[in-house]
Amino acid sequence: MKPIKDFVGQFGANIDLDESLIVKKQNRYFLLNEDLKRHVQRDFFYAGVYLGKVKGAIFFPSFTLLAMIAEKKANKVIVDKKTAWLFICGRDIFKRGILNVTGSKRKGGYTLIQNEHNECLGFGKILRDMSEEKNRHKVFVKNILDIGDFLRREKRASFKHKI
Amino acid sequence: MSGREFFVGRYEELGWVYSEFESKTSIRINTMNVKEADIVKRLESLGIVLEKIPFLENGYWICKSEFSVGATAEYLLGLYSVQEAAAQIPATLFTGLENKTVLDACASPGGKTVQLADLMQNTGVVMALDFKRRRLGALTNQLERCRVKNTIVYQMDARESSRLDTKFDRILLDVPCSGNYVADKGWFSRRTIKDVKNNAELQRQILAEAIRVVKDDGEIVYATCSLEPEENELNIDWAIETLNLEIEEIKCHGEEALTNVFGRKLDSSIKNCRRIWPGQTQGFFVCKLRKRACVK
Repeated sequence: MKPIKDFVGQFGANIDLDESLIVKKQNRYFLLNEDLKRHVQRDFFYAGVYLGKVKGAIFFPSFTLLAMIAEKKANKVIVDKKTAWLFICGRDIFKRGILNVTGSKRKGGYTLIQNEHNECLGFGKILRDMSEEKNRHKVFVKNILDIGDFLRREKRASFKHKI
Repeated sequence: MSGREFFVGRYEELGWVYSEFESKTSIRINTMNVKEADIVKRLESLGIVLEKIPFLENGYWICKSEFSVGATAEYLLGLYSVQEAAAQIPATLFTGLENKTVLDACASPGGKTVQLADLMQNTGVVMALDFKRRRLGALTNQLERCRVKNTIVYQMDARESSRLDTKFDRILLDVPCSGNYVADKGWFSRRTIKDVKNNAELQRQILAEAIRVVKDDGEIVYATCSLEPEENELNIDWAIETLNLEIEEIKCHGEEALTNVFGRKLDSSIKNCRRIWPGQTQGFFVCKLRKRACVK
């Protein structure tokens, strides 16, 4: 539970998760509901809402967890259509593509990236102090994880299958 | 016994004239995540030309798109799934899915599992099985992408469903099958009648196990994308005779299934199953089964 809470805290957010409904399977965390909890057996592979996994000392969140954080008050950067697409393709975010910022704008912080529909596309690390830097052509948020990852996973899986 | 000539000859004997068809790309809106009108508008603004599939509630054909519909932001956000039109039919045949306990016995790659969760509006429980670990990755990616919350996945053979120690209200048997030539370009050169018979035997074993885990008033939907009667009408004829099942009438796309296969007369209720010869969709077979009530 601690890795999840610590991760969420990095976005200046707080989400209430019922610990009695969280199950850990090897290094992966899942959030169940009462129905699922009644039915789930020990040898499950996946259940309910996947929250993320711990590898080494690092927590890797799921996109569902990011969407849950996005529903709360948290650090968010809303970007325009073109920037949203480039972000999904794995690119970083320049100041010129940013439409709005909520929460922390300070260098070193973590922020969710959202499109114009307020849908969460992933998250990144703030590289420059956003309130001070005026140059629109500099990278402001470094891409850490974006939803294009679903396609990359498919590609990796089919490559593994071929070899 | 294999090859184009052999199989096409069989189709002609069954009353269908073989023709080449291109599989059309189709999508299904995930209504648990977005309003249909909103996503249609968004896709149209990307230059995608859609056509509503007349026999499906949330299905659209992609008439024109400059890029893959499996790589848009809207797809990655789980607002829709890419799912063949005929494959969208089976899950819609169940009644009253919300809050039910449902088994998806052969779940990967997960298109129908997500559809079940969508029809259930993420209520109740879906237990999704697949015995190949490699295929579970594709399944769980779909679940995460589409924000499914009510599903438990097990690495398990459908023939061992009793191990779950659960009685199910609804069971989807989208069984492993020989497929068909529309979805697989090399189909005729690869498939033999022996494969078809092996698959038919496996399907019978899965059907038999489903009977053990379905509730007395439960519903089973059986589907294949095979055109071969051994995997369809002949298996269902066996099931109603051996497993104490009856076939329910369904209203969906497709024609009445065959009750006379290569000169063999089958139970007349088999006509309530639906056979879909390739055309608007790929080839498909679907039916809805119910356990016969015990007479005391």
